[in-house]
Amino acid sequence: MKQIINLTINDKKYEVAVDANLTLLDLLRYQLGLTGAKKGCELGDCGACAVIMDGKPVNSCLVLAVQANGKNITTIEGVEDENGLHPLQKAFVEKGAIQCGFCTSGMILSGKTLLDKKPNPTETEIKSAISGNLCRCTGYQKIIEAVQSVSCEG
Amino acid sequence: MLLPKFNFYEPKTQGEALSIMNEYGLKAKLIAGGTDLLANMKRKLLSPDALVGISEIEEFKNLEISDKTIKIGSCFTVSAIAESAVIEKKISALAVGARALGTPLIRNLATIGGNLGSARPAADIPPSLIAYNAKAVLKSVSGERTVLLDKFFKGPGFTEIQPNEILTEIIIDIPDGYYGAGYINLGIRKAQDCNIVNVASFVSLDEPNGVINSARIVMGCVGPTHLRANAAENILIGNKPSEKLFQEAAKIAESECKPIDDFRASAVYKKAMIRVLTKRTLDIAVKEASLK
Ligand SMILES: Cc1cc2nc3c(=O)[nH]c(=O)nc-3n(C[C@H](O)[C@H](O)[C@H](O)COP(=O)(O)OP(=O)(O)OC[C@H]3O[C@@H](n4cnc5c(N)ncnc54)[C@H](O)[C@@H]3O)c2cc1C
Ligand code: FES
Ligand code: FES
Repeated sequence: MKQIINLTINDKKYEVAVDANLTLLDLLRYQLGLTGAKKGCELGDCGACAVIMDGKPVNSCLVLAVQANGKNITTIEGVEDENGLHPLQKAFVEKGAIQCGFCTSGMILSGKTLLDKKPNPTETEIKSAISGNLCRCTGYQKIIEAVQSVSCEG
Repeated sequence: MLLPKFNFYEPKTQGEALSIMNEYGLKAKLIAGGTDLLANMKRKLLSPDALVGISEIEEFKNLEISDKTIKIGSCFTVSAIAESAVIEKKISALAVGARALGTPLIRNLATIGGNLGSARPAADIPPSLIAYNAKAVLKSVSGERTVLLDKFFKGPGFTEIQPNEILTEIIIDIPDGYYGAGYINLGIRKAQDCNIVNVASFVSLDEPNGVINSARIVMGCVGPTHLRANAAENILIGNKPSEKLFQEAAKIAESECKPIDDFRASAVYKKAMIRVLTKRTLDIAVKEASLK
C-alpha cells in the first residue's frame, strides 16, 4: 500500500505516493527525475548519494522516503541559484576536482555544509567533513584545494 | 539493492509506539536512524513485517541536564552528541566515541539508541557509557525498568531489550569530585572503518593528585560483548596513579581479554593493543580528573 508524503526539495513542495520500502535516493532518482544524487554502494559507505536533509548532509540510500515526510531536502540540483553555479561548484571545475564526476555531488554538498557553518575551515576540518565521501579518481588533494579556494575568497 | 516489503508505522507519541510494539512484538522492528537496520535489511539478513519509525518522537530526542544527571533520549543523534558542549565538559569520553563513529553523513542519521540496540561488539558508543556506569531505561505498555549498560549486552546483536520494549533514554549519574575518562579506538583508517580494538577507562580520585577510589576499564572487539577488565580495575583502587601502576594494570587487562584472529588483525596483536590503549586511556582519565 502506498503512503502519501509531503516534502520540500530544492525549495519546491512535493506531494508523492510512495511504497514504504522506497529509499529517499530511489524516490529522487526514479520517481522525481533528480539524478544528481548518485547510487554507489547503497549501504552508507561511499557518500555518492548524499543530500542535505534539514540542514545536515546524510546518505539518502539509508533514509526511507516515508522518513523524509515533512523534511526539507537540498540536492545538488538545488545548489546553483539565479546567478549560476555556486562558488564551490565553480571551484571544483576550475581546480580540476572533478574527473569522472560520480562523487562530485556528494563532495560538494558535504563541502558546502562545512563552508556554510565555518567559512574559513582548516585543512583538517575539510578532510573530516568529506570523510564520508569516497573518490576513486582525484586522490582528494584537488577537492581539498577547491574547498580551500572558496574559503580564502571569503 | 531492494528492501524487502514491510508496513511502516509512524507513531506520534511514546504511548502510541509502545502499543504498536506490544501488538507486533517480534514481527516489528523499531527504526531510528536506520543506518544499521536498513543496511542489514538490504543485505537480506532481516525482513520484519513492520517498521516502527521513532526518530520523530519528541520525547526521545531530549537532552536533559541537571547537576546530578545527564539524560540522553534514545533518538538523540551521534552528531548532536559529538557537538554538545555539556557532554564534552561533563562526559568527554562519550563525545570522543561519537566523533569516532562512521562518517559525518552517518553520524547525522545514527542515534545513541540505535547504536546500543544494534549491539555490535566493535561499536564506538558503549565503552564510554559503560565506563561512566550509564543505565538504559526500557519501557513497555506494562511499565518501565532500568538496566545497567554493563549488564545490557547479551551477545553480538542481542540485548536486554524485549520485543515489546523500547529503549527510551540513557541516564548517566555525574560522578562526585575528581573524575575523568578516556576513549581510544584503533582502526586501519580514521573514518569509515570498523574498530580493531577500542577501550574506555574511567577513574575517580579522592582529591587532586590523590588516590584512585573507583575505576572502570571497558574493552571492545575482544569478546562477544564489551568486557570489563575487573582485575586491572582492582589493582588501581586505593593507589596513587603512576606510570608503573598503569603499566601493570594495562598488562593485566591484556590478559583479561579474549580476542579471536580475524581478517582485521590477529588475536596476539589485538591483545597487545588492548594493553597500549588501556595505558593511554588511563593517562587521559587521570589527567582529566586532576584538572577537575
Ligand atoms: C557506513 C557505516 C559506518 C558505520 N560506522 C560505525 C562506527 O564507526 N562505529 C559504530 O559504532 N557504528 C558504526 N555504524 C553502525 C551504525 O551507524 C551505528 O550503530 C548507529 O548508531 C545505529 O543507530 P541508528 O539510529 O541508525 O540505528 P537503527 O538502524 O535505526 O537501529 C539499529 C537497531 O537498534 C534497534 N533500535 C533502534 N532504536 C531503538 C530503541 N530506541 N529501542 C530499542 N531498539 C532500538 C533497531 O530495531 C535496530 O535493531 C556504521 C554504519 C554504517 C552504515
Ligand atoms: S550509495 Fe549511499 S552511501 Fe553509497
Ligand atoms: S571524480 Fe571520480 S569518483 Fe571522484
